[in-house]
Amino acid sequence: MDNFSKLQEMIALTFGAPAHEITPETARDDIAAWDSVGHLNLMLALEDAFGLTLDIEDMARLTSVPAILEYLAVA
Amino acid sequence: MKSSPDRIADALQTTSRVEALDALSPRRPTLALPEINRLAAHLRELPDERHPLKIAILRTYTTELLAPHWSCESLLQGFELTLYQAPYGALLQELQPGAGLLEFTPEVTYLFLRWEDLHPRLAGPVTALPDRAAVQAEALEYLTNLLAAFREKLPGLLVLTLLPRMTPPELGMFDAMAEDSETIFFSDLKRGIARRLRDGLPSVYFNDLDEVAADLGRAQCFDARLWHTARFPFSVAGAQAVVARLMSYPVLLKCPRVKCLVLDADNTLWGGIIGEDGMEGIRLGPDYPGSAYLAFQRRLLALQGRGLLLALCSKNNQADVLEVLRAHPHQLLREEHFAATRVNWEPKPVNLQAIAQELNIGLDALLFVDDSDFECEVVRRQCPGVMVVQAPGTPLELPECLDGIPQLEVLQLTDEDRRRATLYAGRRKDQQLKATAVSLDDYLASLEMVMHVGLDDHRQAARIAQLTQKTNQFNLTTRRYTEADIIRCMDDPNWLVAHFRLADIFGDHGLVGVALIRLEGETAEVDTLLMSCRIIGRGAETAFLAHLLGHLAQRGIRSVRGYYYPTAKNVMVNSFWPQHGFTAIDEAAYELELGAVPEARFIRVETEEAGIR
Repeated sequence: MDNFSKLQEMIALTFGAPAHEITPETARDDIAAWDSVGHLNLMLALEDAFGLTLDIEDMARLTSVPAILEYLAVA
Repeated sequence: MKSSPDRIADALQTTSRVEALDALSPRRPTLALPEINRLAAHLRELPDERHPLKIAILRTYTTELLAPHWSCESLLQGFELTLYQAPYGALLQELQPGAGLLEFTPEVTYLFLRWEDLHPRLAGPVTALPDRAAVQAEALEYLTNLLAAFREKLPGLLVLTLLPRMTPPELGMFDAMAEDSETIFFSDLKRGIARRLRDGLPSVYFNDLDEVAADLGRAQCFDARLWHTARFPFSVAGAQAVVARLMSYPVLLKCPRVKCLVLDADNTLWGGIIGEDGMEGIRLGPDYPGSAYLAFQRRLLALQGRGLLLALCSKNNQADVLEVLRAHPHQLLREEHFAATRVNWEPKPVNLQAIAQELNIGLDALLFVDDSDFECEVVRRQCPGVMVVQAPGTPLELPECLDGIPQLEVLQLTDEDRRRATLYAGRRKDQQLKATAVSLDDYLASLEMVMHVGLDDHRQAARIAQLTQKTNQFNLTTRRYTEADIIRCMDDPNWLVAHFRLADIFGDHGLVGVALIRLEGETAEVDTLLMSCRIIGRGAETAFLAHLLGHLAQRGIRSVRGYYYPTAKNVMVNSFWPQHGFTAIDEAAYELELGAVPEARFIRVETEEAGIR
């Protein structure tokens, strides 16, 4: 599974949103449940799904699909 | 045993929530957040029946990140959860008229507080406090007043938690040596809290989350990133453990209580098969693997100390098993520890029925422990309602196989609970005597029973509430009450809360019968009448009713109304009212004009001395 598909699944699972609504352009404002608490839940889910440990600064800025994909590409 | 990922994968393939629970037992593996969400989604699709549950949360730190855990854990325990989170930091504000909490009417309310909410100085450092005792007293006073305010206005259970300290003691290793030890400072406070709750705040419980930190270790329990950026203290593992622990309260409030552990013998109480390996060959003693079985037996004795009964159910020759119980040098559980014993070649479901009957408890009050796949499956199929725990095949995992089961927790421990095991041993003697007595009348007369009736006695409120929650068979209306409800009735002049204790030549059976009566003018309504199954068949109910009717007549009551609401369990009392001279007025209600009252036989009834309120 490529990074985008995996990320799509994590976002859908965390926010209970249909996977097809999540595109490579999706950002935090596009999904109602992606609020500050939802964001932390997503970060914790990503840590597990991609085997990462995120630091506070990364958590604060990974607020869109493009930003997360870019981070994963260099991680 | 299977690895954690395999068990989690299994749980996602299950067809019922009980199967999912089994797949994750014993000792729940830590699930990652995506797994928790997947498991919750899976459980939500299953056709299990779910009971509605309303939980409220009051907090002085962020708790929203517990939400996925609440969803998953409540589904695992069979609940359809509605969660109310009060605004961050709102405590007494939530008791103002029109506040969300009061309108929500929660069944269980959790308080997530920090120590420094009780007293600002508790934020630390606490080691050098010059006035430790005064700070402790002020903190206790503040907390007691806060909880009393909630208790007064809020229905249901209240559960207090305090955020464990996330750092090691201020004095480091020396804390253990210090006169002003921080660890002891806080454990003194915890003891003070427990005492205040026990003594004056019914249905308010303190849950010590320090146990979670001890189980996981501070490094695993907390997540500093989330604490410093979002005021949420716990790691995913910590959050999961906290919620699993706190979910015990709804389970204890709303699900059948386990009252008896039914234990297999071979490969459960000891390693090997007594019929084949013999006394010398079975594994039981100080060396592995015998040490694991010994450790399990010790855990079982501890569970008995919580008021749970133990029963033995084994396919064996009785003599072989008895020899181990009586003569094996390392066997801890002896004959007298078992309230009932079935060692024979009958199918286990038949024996479980017989044990439930002998102990006068429902089948759903049994928890069955057996190492065999076959026996566990047969019991699951033929005895729905019986909880089944398969004893792990690996001896090392056996001692912990009953950990973390909410149904084995207790919310209070009365003297009756502590004495229960001995009482049942006495009852066995009693049944032997019954077999030799000539007639039932002779037998009952030989018991020399004495009944003490008490009214509106606050000291007994906990036990009375417990009986309303646990009694299923001899219970005319099966209404469940909390301790707080009972105290309210006791204080209400239009209600009468009566109880009785029964003693006989075998000992004191403790508080075993309850009646709640509502008075209105010259009429009395029996809201609740119940009796513990321990003393069924001795005419105690008739003696109790006769005494109550006499008391009501003295208070100017002319007519008494009683009700019978049938349930799956209380058939035995379906003709209680007609048998005692009441006339049916509709399907559920019966009435009696007070005149001659039925007479108590074989029981001397005494009123407990006045001035007990």
